[in-house]
Amino acid sequence: MAGETAADFAPILYMLGFGLLASVPALILSRLVSPRRRYNPVKFLPMECGQMPTGEGRSHFMMQYYAYILMFVVFDVMSIFLYAWGTALFNIPRAATLPIIGFLGIMFAAMGYALYLAGRKGIW
Amino acid sequence: MASYPQNFRFGEFVGSLIWLIFWVLIIVALVGLPLIFIVLFYVPLPPVGDQVLTPYLFLTSILYPQSAIPVIKTLMGTDLFRVAMFPGFTYAALIAAVTIFIERKFLAKMQLRVGPLYAGKIEGILQLIADGLKLISKEIIVPSGADKLMFWAAPIAFVSTAAAVVALIPAAPGYVVADVDVGLLAVFAILGFFPLIALLFSWASNSKYPFIGGLRALHQMIAFEIPFILSALSVVILSGTLNLTGIVDSQLQSYWFIFFLPISAFVFYISSLAELERIPFDLPEAESEIVAGWLTETSGMIYGLLQLGSYVKTYALAALFVILFLGGWAGPMVFPAEIHTPIVNISPIYDQEAANGSLWFTLKTFGVIMLMLLPRGISPRIRMDILLHTGWYKLIVLAFINIFVALALIYGGILGPGGLLVR
Repeated sequence: MAGETAADFAPILYMLGFGLLASVPALILSRLVSPRRRYNPVKFLPMECGQMPTGEGRSHFMMQYYAYILMFVVFDVMSIFLYAWGTALFNIPRAATLPIIGFLGIMFAAMGYALYLAGRKGIW
Repeated sequence: MASYPQNFRFGEFVGSLIWLIFWVLIIVALVGLPLIFIVLFYVPLPPVGDQVLTPYLFLTSILYPQSAIPVIKTLMGTDLFRVAMFPGFTYAALIAAVTIFIERKFLAKMQLRVGPLYAGKIEGILQLIADGLKLISKEIIVPSGADKLMFWAAPIAFVSTAAAVVALIPAAPGYVVADVDVGLLAVFAILGFFPLIALLFSWASNSKYPFIGGLRALHQMIAFEIPFILSALSVVILSGTLNLTGIVDSQLQSYWFIFFLPISAFVFYISSLAELERIPFDLPEAESEIVAGWLTETSGMIYGLLQLGSYVKTYALAALFVILFLGGWAGPMVFPAEIHTPIVNISPIYDQEAANGSLWFTLKTFGVIMLMLLPRGISPRIRMDILLHTGWYKLIVLAFINIFVALALIYGGILGPGGLLVR
């Protein structure tokens, strides 16, 4: 195929728009039909199993497993990059697979080291 | 116990309904119909076949249904039909509805319960309609301090994004909304939005438990996105294309890929469970730990839309499994070449291939959906660190095993262009 234009992706947007068309009326209808009683301010407090909520809803938090997030940024790009190779596999000579194997070896070593570091306690 | 208002009379209720219908009819007859005809006087009407599409044609087709067939045939070729009806939204929403019902009865049978029983005469078959009416008539409570715009927009975005995934799924030969060359990558790209919507919604609802749930959704994506993508890579290596219709065609020429790549199929299944936030990976909405996770502050139709979106997503991922590994719409022909119906001759719109394909596709999709529902009855929830450990240490390695198997199949001359097993 001779490549594609952005217009080929337009049906995805139609579908997105149809999703909007289907869900917005549902919310509007629900707003029209459902009761709205506002005399009890306790009702609008955040959920705390019936207690008065303590602390803030949005607070600073400890980003646990941060090492995995850093790894994700690298290896997600790697896995998408492999798709470019996987799609073109029939059209490239067999010798072109060797560099990819080398690339995979480098990435595996890096991933092993990163997983070793991610598993270590006390440095994160 | 349902309670009625004190002065409730059923007769008055019916009477008020009849009055309402009467007034609606009067207004439609006096205002609506003249408006329609005034508009139609100025708008040029599209010709369909050899006749012009006018409102009179619809009135004619009530008496002579045969005259509506060419119109239907033309409509079936349009984008609107695809988006709204068959491979698009209505089909996905119907499958989602059936999935919700099947899930309840199936889990109930697994746990020696009876499940929904009262709504509808047979096995509570109208339970879903009852639930829908309940959800639509419940009050939507927006918690104080919530980001209102995000709180209202997130459920809509969730449903629309799930619909956008469905747009890329071919359900029968030629029946796909968006037939793009990079279909598989587009699916991955759109699926990446869901954890972000969960995180946005949880941040918007200004509460502790949703926030924890949203962060967990993020972690889950980090753990399972890479095995998910890599497990589909071996299919791409075998078929040599990213177009989903092309992947199915390459399976029609050889055998289903699940026979060559069982480990990939397993990894794909596990990671799609995680992607769908289903048990055992339902940490973002773990109801016994953090109230209901990122769904804690949802109520009424907001919850309903999020549920609809997640079941449409279930359909999309099960359909993706069917397309990648189970041969899509491949199956023995069960429909006759020509069909004869007594009153209306529907042979102009009858397509044997499409009917057969959509039947097998739907059956296989339901099979995979049942397989996805199964762990909910038999498995406990796993811990966060075990989840990350499973994703990073085990599933990625397993996915790579089948990539090398696929390479060996290609270079060994078994599959690929001119391979041994290619018909």
